[in-house]
Amino acid sequence: MPASQVIERICLEKRHIMKKTLIKMGALFLAGGVALAAQAATPEEDRTAFTNHYKFRFPDVPMEEYPNGAYAIDKIGRENWEAIEEFPPYEPFIDEGQEMWETPFANGKTYKDCFSDGPGIKSQYPRWDKKQGMVITMALAINQCREANGEKALKYKKGPIVPLMSYMAFESRGQITNVVIPEDDPRAMAAYESGKKFYFTRRGQLNFSCATCHVQNTGLKVRTEVLSPSLGHTTHWPVYRSKWGTAGTLHRRFTGCNRNIRAKPMKAQGEQYRNLEYFLTYLSNGLTLNGPGARK
Amino acid sequence: MRTKRLLSVLLLAVTFVAGTGVTLAADAKAENPKAVKAQMEIDKADKARKKAASVESEWTTTGKLIKKAQAALKKGDYDTATRLAKQAGEQGEIAYEQGASQKELRMPSYLKY
Amino acid sequence: MTKKSTRLVPMAGMVILLAGPLQVATVAAAEGASAVAEGKAISFKRSKGNCLACHMIEGGESPGNVGPPLIAMKARYPDKAKLRAQIFDATAFNPDSAMVPFGKHRILTEDEIDKVTEYIWTL
Ligand code: HEC
Ligand code: HEC
Repeated sequence: MPASQVIERICLEKRHIMKKTLIKMGALFLAGGVALAAQAATPEEDRTAFTNHYKFRFPDVPMEEYPNGAYAIDKIGRENWEAIEEFPPYEPFIDEGQEMWETPFANGKTYKDCFSDGPGIKSQYPRWDKKQGMVITMALAINQCREANGEKALKYKKGPIVPLMSYMAFESRGQITNVVIPEDDPRAMAAYESGKKFYFTRRGQLNFSCATCHVQNTGLKVRTEVLSPSLGHTTHWPVYRSKWGTAGTLHRRFTGCNRNIRAKPMKAQGEQYRNLEYFLTYLSNGLTLNGPGARK
Repeated sequence: MRTKRLLSVLLLAVTFVAGTGVTLAADAKAENPKAVKAQMEIDKADKARKKAASVESEWTTTGKLIKKAQAALKKGDYDTATRLAKQAGEQGEIAYEQGASQKELRMPSYLKY
Repeated sequence: MTKKSTRLVPMAGMVILLAGPLQVATVAAAEGASAVAEGKAISFKRSKGNCLACHMIEGGESPGNVGPPLIAMKARYPDKAKLRAQIFDATAFNPDSAMVPFGKHRILTEDEIDKVTEYIWTL
């Protein structure tokens, strides 16, 4: 049994024991205790709650399938997807991105001078940057590198940043999601909490939260679209979407999911969406990176 | 002497024409109560829209309605402008309420801890 | 002749008396039928009710299944007002409801919700 599963087992058993003692302590206290637990859940408790929720919904889907999104749970969609993956539509983006990565800036330096471990560095992001006091995503780090070298920042939803990130994602395949929320800086936890709040807040004229679709109704269909679980939502970006006819970033997808419910989207790579990415990626801790991806 | 008089008459005439011109234009704008009302409703709606945005709760539909109201006002269709602006204002208020009522995170019952 | 005509007068009167309410009834039925038809159109239209996004409804194409199939509505909702209230704002009954609050959020007008209710009640 892999270590992560053992740990999860232990956690589950601990929860079980805790529950038993709580029941003994009386109903009044129990109610108070549960309410408190839900309020002050730690990130790890959040991740466990999400994981258990999906395991209960999809008992036959192994954890390592979640990076495949809706295709982990939608058999018909999966057949189409597997056919598409035979000739991946994102391949030209990887090639173009490699060229970008290797082409020096006007000052003669390259991306490698910013990212010494690069190009396969996706699992280092998003991360809390204590000095800047904010969540740094890979897209943001790319533009900080460009600007430090006298180059113009790239747009965040589409355009040249997409091939570059596709190449970096491709080179990161096989790495494990491992978002850390450092305990020595309370602002990091606040950023995580703000992302979590965003996820559960109902928005737009249609009054949905992200969780309404991807947690409460995951596996069900809106029209013909099967709603994917939140776990695995961050492992495979950028994504080539047939609907877009091109590849786009995670924040472009956020924008789309907000627009669909008639909520005015936030700024791509603005504070809200970066914190949202921080929270959402944390939930996928332990899952393997498999970008770039292809979706309907 | 004669040219001077002629000049002053001309000048007077010019100021008169220009003056009435200005007041006439202002009248059309300021004194059509329907136009004033429409403009007022548009301003109110935009304020409500911004209020909703201040709690990260703006709807995409609200700004669109305001733009349509402004276009209607420009065309002189004051009733339509007022009606659309009122709708937008109402949306802004509801959207603000939606955001404000969720100031504290309330975890939904379907996710069990 | 005279006898006949005297008998005809009250008969004609009766015909008129009968036709009166009958005519009113058919007008009301026509109005009801058109409300149902309009309600159906609003329910199916994506930019309006779009109920099919989440509900199976007889005769509707590619329905979702986030909500239950809309069937046996008169049995489920003997009180039409209750049905209207569910469509107006489902979150009033269940704060975690995934159903769109069509009235509360002004997606449909009061009149449109009346018509949708009329239609859904026939299911
Ligand atoms: C009305 C339902 C709905 C809401 C609300 C919603 N989404 Fe989605 N989302 C979808 C659908 C449908 C898709 C495409 C099918 C799928 O993968 O679930 C999707 C896809 C996604 C994907 C891509 C999944 C993949 O495998 O590539 C991400 C990421 C995502 N949503 C995040 C969010 C976030 C974050 C929010 C809140 C800001 C949100 N969604 C709100 C319906 C919704
Ligand atoms: C986003 C998904 C969604 C949409 C769109 C939607 N509903 Fe629902 N509906 C639900 C859910 C979920 C329920 C289950 C009860 C609840 O949560 O409120 C429900 C319940 C209902 C019920 C009660 C059914 C019963 O058997 O008790 C009725 C009636 C209903 N919906 C009508 C409508 C109508 C009419 C429309 C279109 C104008 C509509 N719904 C659009 C999700 C939706």
